[in-house]
Amino acid sequence: MSKQIVAILLSAILALAAAACAEVRESGGGGGAQGEGGGKQGPVELAVVPKAVGFDFWEQVRIGAQCAADKSEGQVDISWDGVTAETDVSGQVDLLTNFITQGVDGLVYAATDAKVLYDVTKNAKDNGVTVVNVDSGTKPQPEDVPVFATDNVAAARKVPDLLAKELGKEGGEVAFIPFQQGTLTNEQREQGFKEGLKDHPELKLVAEQSSQSQYNTALTVTENILTANPNLDAIFAANEPGVLGAAEAVRQAGKAGDITIVGWDGNPKEVEAVRDGLVSTLVVQNPFKMGYDGVNAAVEIIREGKTVQGGDTGVTFVNKANVDDPEVESVLDPTCEDPPL
Amino acid sequence: MISNVLTSITQRLPDAVRDRLYDAVSQLAAGGALLVIILFLSIVSPDFLTADNLFNVGSQVAYTAVMAIGVTLVIITAGIDLSVGSVAALSGVLGVMMMGNLGLPVPLGILGGTLVGAGAGLVNGLLVSVAGLNPFIATLGMLTVARGLSYIVTDAVAVFGAPDSFRLLGQGVLAGGIPIPVLIIILVALAGYVVLNRTRLGRYAYAIGSNLEAARLSGIPVRRYLTSVYVISGALAGFGGMIAASRVASGQPNFGIGLELDVIAAVVIGGASLFGGQGTILGTLIGAFLIALIRNGSVLLDVNTYYQQIIIGVVIWLAVYWDQFRRKRLAAETE
Repeated sequence: MSKQIVAILLSAILALAAAACAEVRESGGGGGAQGEGGGKQGPVELAVVPKAVGFDFWEQVRIGAQCAADKSEGQVDISWDGVTAETDVSGQVDLLTNFITQGVDGLVYAATDAKVLYDVTKNAKDNGVTVVNVDSGTKPQPEDVPVFATDNVAAARKVPDLLAKELGKEGGEVAFIPFQQGTLTNEQREQGFKEGLKDHPELKLVAEQSSQSQYNTALTVTENILTANPNLDAIFAANEPGVLGAAEAVRQAGKAGDITIVGWDGNPKEVEAVRDGLVSTLVVQNPFKMGYDGVNAAVEIIREGKTVQGGDTGVTFVNKANVDDPEVESVLDPTCEDPPL
Repeated sequence: MISNVLTSITQRLPDAVRDRLYDAVSQLAAGGALLVIILFLSIVSPDFLTADNLFNVGSQVAYTAVMAIGVTLVIITAGIDLSVGSVAALSGVLGVMMMGNLGLPVPLGILGGTLVGAGAGLVNGLLVSVAGLNPFIATLGMLTVARGLSYIVTDAVAVFGAPDSFRLLGQGVLAGGIPIPVLIIILVALAGYVVLNRTRLGRYAYAIGSNLEAARLSGIPVRRYLTSVYVISGALAGFGGMIAASRVASGQPNFGIGLELDVIAAVVIGGASLFGGQGTILGTLIGAFLIALIRNGSVLLDVNTYYQQIIIGVVIWLAVYWDQFRRKRLAAETE
């Protein structure tokens, strides 16, 4: 019988992998990107590839990339394409390889896996295709491939400072909700958060449970954490589903306002929770700037042949006091007319 | 001593009654494990045996239990339904969209989501009974089809906008302090019990699972009943999806990835046989609570997520091994 369970498990994994392999194609900018090798004359053809399509975060990367292309007045054409799940590493490898074969001038992409995608970057460069990374780079990162990304470690290191400010000298009990153990951004946020905690002995980490990037799971584990730690003072949730689940659990337990929640990302539902006083602070990245700077860097390298330095695209700490400031609004809902640059 | 008594009793029993006895023995094993876990958790965690926590567990287990009751029926017919997690997600997002985008009242939205599940179940049932696909393959296909559809209709972004009263289904509490999701478990379980034990559908399900050919030859309209079983499983998966959606007041397209494994594990731990012909609602409920308590207890004791998965896998092995061991001994003694 256990053989059958194993068979079921294996098949289910296969099925999930198959489900995740589906691609969604969406073309932005001008016409299709059929290859002409040179690239210095005529419009520059760029493929912009996120970790996955269909999420607010990556949609904002697209808006930023598209904005940079629009501002070039026809000098830059971008093709936007991606897999549907951030875990679909081989799907992204295939997709990028196809773009290289098509003969685009440059790839601007976020690596779903740092080590695996290094081979793709190398393959692209061997074929004379310029590469720029946004959000997530490769291991190793070639010197001439700039990365425009959030410094997750540095940003997460500031989270304990925020918690300490809210809780005062007394400090208190803190719970941590990571999202996907084994992914680079999760590890960086965990590393930064735990390094920051060392500066605050008054903050005691009493629980750590993964949300597996699912709202329902985040709700369930937070409910259980609240049961196990009736004196809990604060929660740090390291991505969007975790923040929403933690906030919902705190609300349902009737502890809104008693428990300080600091969360990551800035989707509209999270911002609503900030306005409601359920979430104290959101650490919001700047995906627009990643797309915008990434495209401009690629064009600069292709047109002028020089090396471009990447950089930290920065984070904004959004709280109830500043949520309606124009600069914060432009980060939360970026448009090409009102870019958060 | 006890086994001697069992032997002397079972030797004089007709086959059907002996099967019932096997079921009771498996439930005893799973129920025993449940008691051990409850005892263990009450000793090591002072927070476990509190009314608040038990209500939480009851609400957390609701969708898994409801879905597992449907899958119990399927497994009794020697089938399997791998699609329940994806179907629950599809039902959840479409049900919420019916309320949020089309403005349907809450009861109709819940019914709509449930019917979406029933529709997916109908496709499963027809693929199995008419097209003759192996249940494993038919529902494996539905697992990816329903997941793909739920991403397509939502653009892979969670959907909101259901009226506030939708929260009652998964979060509401009745006068007297009983959570509505717990009441739902009781009602669905009672309905499942009646269907399995007091209706033609239930008896035929056992007959089909015990011996498909014999069932066919004795004039049971196998296709019709087999299809019905998958429709029920799909409908309950859809209903479970609505309960889960209600808990977070939104439709999550990535809800329930891997949930089918928890659901099937609950059924199997409860003593159902993947070879068909055996399984009970009570056993499945015990299995579902066992898994929910392992997860709840792991968080109370702050056990890492990865270890929780290992614990659940080991419990599946132990439950099924113990079950087979008991059955073999019982069979040997009654021969």
